[in-house]
Amino acid sequence: MEWMLQYFEIFFALCLLIVGYGFGRLAEKRHYKSIFKREKKYQELLVFSLKTPPEGLTVTDSRLVTGSVVVSIDYFKKFVAGLRMLVGGRLRSYETLVDRGRREAVLRMKEQALLLHADSVINVKVETSSISKGRRNSIGSIEVCAYGTALKHA
Amino acid sequence: MEKKKPDLSNPEIPEGINASDEHPLKEFFWLLIGITVFAALVIGALSLSAGWLAQKIPFEYETQLADHFPDVESGDSSNEARIAERLQGIADRLSVEQNLPEGMHITVHYSDSDVVNAFATLGGNIVIFRGLIEALPSEDALAMVIAHEIAHIKHRHPIRALGRGVTIGISFAAIFGMSGSSAGDRVLGEIGLLTALSFSRTQERAADETALRALVNVYGHGNGAIELFDTFSELEQTRFSEPEVLRTHPQSLDRLAALNDQAEKKGWRMNGESLPMPQVLLEHK
Repeated sequence: MEWMLQYFEIFFALCLLIVGYGFGRLAEKRHYKSIFKREKKYQELLVFSLKTPPEGLTVTDSRLVTGSVVVSIDYFKKFVAGLRMLVGGRLRSYETLVDRGRREAVLRMKEQALLLHADSVINVKVETSSISKGRRNSIGSIEVCAYGTALKHA
Repeated sequence: MEKKKPDLSNPEIPEGINASDEHPLKEFFWLLIGITVFAALVIGALSLSAGWLAQKIPFEYETQLADHFPDVESGDSSNEARIAERLQGIADRLSVEQNLPEGMHITVHYSDSDVVNAFATLGGNIVIFRGLIEALPSEDALAMVIAHEIAHIKHRHPIRALGRGVTIGISFAAIFGMSGSSAGDRVLGEIGLLTALSFSRTQERAADETALRALVNVYGHGNGAIELFDTFSELEQTRFSEPEVLRTHPQSLDRLAALNDQAEKKGWRMNGESLPMPQVLLEHK
């Protein structure tokens, strides 16, 4: 019994790793599936980073649209990132997270624009901010916010 | 004049540029194995050199590190004080035979506890538990234990263990404290603790050898060692969990065999009549 108590912390951390990996992986797979599906669906709604409407386009209405998403990393990703920080290099476990956040934010912005029956969104900007800024051992969450000007074409 | 409508579109962008498709476990295992091997090498080298350096620390500084031991007043007539005094007497005779370096002296403490254990620690302090005295058959066997602990101190094993332990602790804190991963902190910190404070098997063997020489010189024969390891091997078999003193020690019968070899080479007598356990040591209450 005594050895079980001794190794309890290791055992506990291992459990968290497995849970983090399992759920994180599942959530990521599902999320990407949904992202691919909706990106195809909203393909018709055009988005541009241009500041002004493309030349020759007659605009009848314009409105600010935003899409924002908050995502958190799982325990496994955090552990891998901790190891990665010792040696440096590409932080793959965070890359998928930020990629998903960014695409989800753009999709939500598009959904808002579609509700307004817009034809395109211009001046699209994407911003990220860390919610758990600077604090060690807190949840590693980021907010990704995408915004732009939705236009109604003539 | 009618404006021409511009031809605009959002073509599909290929996948796998911003985020890679690589399996996350691959990265995990490579990092874990690589960092573990590297850290083990570095910490191993550091702790070896710390152990080597630690034995260069003058004994008087070591004594200052360990001055938290309460001094038993010489005028004290309680049973515990008398037991400690008797144990000190045995230790003094054995110390003389071990040619301790100048300035090093041994202080024996007695602890009223059922634990079958004895240990040597910083500053030349040895602690003997009541449980051990009650488990041993003779004064010779007890003398072998005390001689063994004195030998640890003579070889500076406690301060080396401390040097190793501190180095390992600091290394773990340095590497994993700044990694920002609480899991890494916890898992590896725990392992660091488990490996830190114990004597190695080589150190135990060295202490055995030195102890036997002193035992033979004082008592005329090495029967105490035979009795001691016989008692321990019986305890190993009969008890569900082995006594604490054995946990880091090589198997008792192997140790006895090594000592018999040594005695044969040096021409020491191993068989003889052991002295009975002094009555004063058994009169705790």
